Amino acid sequence: MFLKILLGLYIAVITVLAFVIPIGFIPGLGERARIIFLHVPSAWLSVVAFFVSMFYGIRYLRSRNIYDDVKSASSAEIGFLFCFVTTVTGAIWAKFNWGSFWNWDPRETSIFVLLLIYGAYFVLRSAIEVEERKGTLSAVYSIIAFVTVPFFIFIMPRIMPGLHPGSKGDPEGAGPVVTFKMDPNMRILFFASLVGFMLVYLWMFKLRSKSEILRIKIENKIYQEG
Amino acid sequence: MGLYEFLEKNSIYLVLIIALIVWLSVFGYLLRVDIKLKRIEEKLTRLENKGSEKR
Repeated sequence: MFLKILLGLYIAVITVLAFVIPIGFIPGLGERARIIFLHVPSAWLSVVAFFVSMFYGIRYLRSRNIYDDVKSASSAEIGFLFCFVTTVTGAIWAKFNWGSFWNWDPRETSIFVLLLIYGAYFVLRSAIEVEERKGTLSAVYSIIAFVTVPFFIFIMPRIMPGLHPGSKGDPEGAGPVVTFKMDPNMRILFFASLVGFMLVYLWMFKLRSKSEILRIKIENKIYQEG
Repeated sequence: MGLYEFLEKNSIYLVLIIALIVWLSVFGYLLRVDIKLKRIEEKLTRLENKGSEKR
């Protein structure tokens, strides 16, 4: 419990620092570059979560252990949540930087497609009632879905010209995160934020999978006694 | 200068307050879920132990 409270304080301190530390001058972004401490870690975390989902999907196909399926689905849910946070924070930032919430920039389009792909994953899971069939199909889907993630997050937005920092034809050459040409303060806080987000993800993942595993155990117990 | 005036001129601090409230709410919710899950887990373990003793 102590470590969790420490994590809560750690993220609170990072949140405060994200708004107050000097970050140096970034052409075209200015103070709006502070979004980097929330927006980028949540995008990276969604990639990690989708990877973990695929990892447990593969494990499920090998072991047929229902708990692996639960962990795969839990990680996909959290990944979807982080992906949604990335989209919303990005849209708010776009309103102040580009003038409108949504511009169908390659980066916005790619994250939207990713949300659709993983949205379909949950539709697939909810459409199948037989646990084993649901586990097998969603494990296969999570593997196929993850194949698209590096393309939509790292490749497509960088090979197409767009408004987002780091796109092809960006006047700065690349975004501050892509080249890591950040102010030292900014770099330290960015990595600290990334570590904090990672720990929050691990905590959420543990809670989500534990709640689902407990539900299965309770259902089994009721079934055995009834 | 009052707090309202200060926040009006330095709106970044208003965003900071909102971000902090959002994080603390999420954190409180996660902590609450964690405590509840621990209690359920303990109850379930106790029930399982009782069941195995009966047998």
